[in-house]
Amino acid sequence: MLQTRTCTPRHRLPQPSLMHEGSITVRLPAELREIERLNRLIRQFGELHEVPSRALYAVNLALDEVMTNVVRHAFEDAKDQEVVAQVIARATEVITEVSDSGRAFDPLAVPPPNLDASLAERPLGGLGIHLVRSLMDGVEYRRADGKNVLTLRKRIR
Amino acid sequence: MQIKESKQGEVLILTISEHLDSATAAVFESRLLGLVDRGERKIVVDCGSLEYVNSAGLKVFLLAAKRLEPLGGKLVLCALAPSVLMIFEMIGFTRIMKIVPSLDDALKALGGEAAPA
Repeated sequence: MLQTRTCTPRHRLPQPSLMHEGSITVRLPAELREIERLNRLIRQFGELHEVPSRALYAVNLALDEVMTNVVRHAFEDAKDQEVVAQVIARATEVITEVSDSGRAFDPLAVPPPNLDASLAERPLGGLGIHLVRSLMDGVEYRRADGKNVLTLRKRIR
Repeated sequence: MQIKESKQGEVLILTISEHLDSATAAVFESRLLGLVDRGERKIVVDCGSLEYVNSAGLKVFLLAAKRLEPLGGKLVLCALAPSVLMIFEMIGFTRIMKIVPSLDDALKALGGEAAPA
């Protein structure tokens, strides 16, 4: 006789924790040379929290692109300005938030490049934000309290 | 980033290493475009020791390839690490640039002799 066993529904099972949860907040001057230092800090944070290396690579590259954009375009004069980057490792995702007090700018308004265009027709701009969108699972922009806040989500698994 | 230059027949080979990013892209750009201005038409960039590239670096490759095309020249990239190649694929450059596995393949693609073993 066939017996039916009752199983605990999947959603009731505790989510396996892939990473050690935690966060790091870094305030840094709005200068290009600071990006490598930030990437080193995030690498150390990621290793400590067991963020898988592919995800860590993606987060660092996306963060590099966002920081480069802010340093180059957000300020009339980037001198004495700062950028705040926060990286949060949750059980199954890494959330990165970058904020600056520069002029309002939504990078997501930049149209994606046409990847089918010929070499001669490919525009030089828009490469960075396209990479960010491609590397991440979610990108959101908001303007809050006179700041640009960009939130990047990278799922693990 | 380190840049080394060598010549094999008509082919100019630039070997770049470490990080090609917002801090180093300008140096690479002036070097690579300088070669085009000097009259080099067959250029290989050997990326075998390149660990990291961001959009500032990618833009330099696009700029050089765009400039060479109407001059009848060609840019070939070789030996990209998997993590770097993934970025080139993501940005669609594998469709518009010649990217090959090894330096020998790059030299063959430019009609030159393979490097002596």
